[in-house]
Amino acid sequence: MADQAAFTDDVMEYAPQLYAAALRMTRNPADAEDVLQETLLKAYRGYHSYAEGTNLKAWLYRILTNTFINKYRQQSRRPHEVELGELEDFYLFRRLGDDGASGATRSAEEEALDRFVDDDIKAAVESLPENFRIPVLLADVEGFSYKEIAKIMDVPIGTVMSRLHRGRKALQQALWQFAQDREAAGQ
Amino acid sequence: MKCDETRHYLYVYLDGEATILRRWRIRRHFRQCPHCEDGFVFEERLKLRVREGCREEMPRELVERLRTLLQGHADDGM
Repeated sequence: MADQAAFTDDVMEYAPQLYAAALRMTRNPADAEDVLQETLLKAYRGYHSYAEGTNLKAWLYRILTNTFINKYRQQSRRPHEVELGELEDFYLFRRLGDDGASGATRSAEEEALDRFVDDDIKAAVESLPENFRIPVLLADVEGFSYKEIAKIMDVPIGTVMSRLHRGRKALQQALWQFAQDREAAGQ
Repeated sequence: MKCDETRHYLYVYLDGEATILRRWRIRRHFRQCPHCEDGFVFEERLKLRVREGCREEMPRELVERLRTLLQGHADDGM
């Protein structure tokens, strides 16, 4: 067993990332702090079960995800049953580029993308039901592989892929809604 | 490969999970279909935008509190 002081340093390196993920999961700073603190303590106590040389970051995210789910799942209404409708390919791309002209340029959509502020992005992610939000966070924000996400969430890879697929489309739908709301507000 | 098959592999491709052969077939499709390529480029940019947009500054005070908490446990001989 490596020494615990070194472990504190290793783990604290990931704390800011874990905090950001906890914020997206819980949607508020007080709960995010609680989840993060509990995660770090569990990691600390479970350190003997952590096999050195394996992926420390993935191990920490697995604890974070489980901590969040165990703490908050009972508060959300039947999260397993939440389903999202199917959307067409390139949902947001088609809409942001739709200026009435047939030959919208690539830069038109990219400029539209740049008009989203960070708060829009955060709100869109947080609008996703948790079984879609977590894989989107783990893939898009944390850059985990499908295999790692499957392990973190304890679901088959096929489930990860289908939730990512639908979660990302729902995210695009939420962003499109923000873009429209803003236009309606005349900004 | 046609558009619908190409788009079916959109996320697998963007997530770096497509096989070399699949990636090659997708890129070959792009040469005939700029619309699919533009769509893929946009989706890639969106993925990066999501990552950027979710960044957070962790309060300094929280960092210190957690560090102290963990070190406290270390001192207890955990």
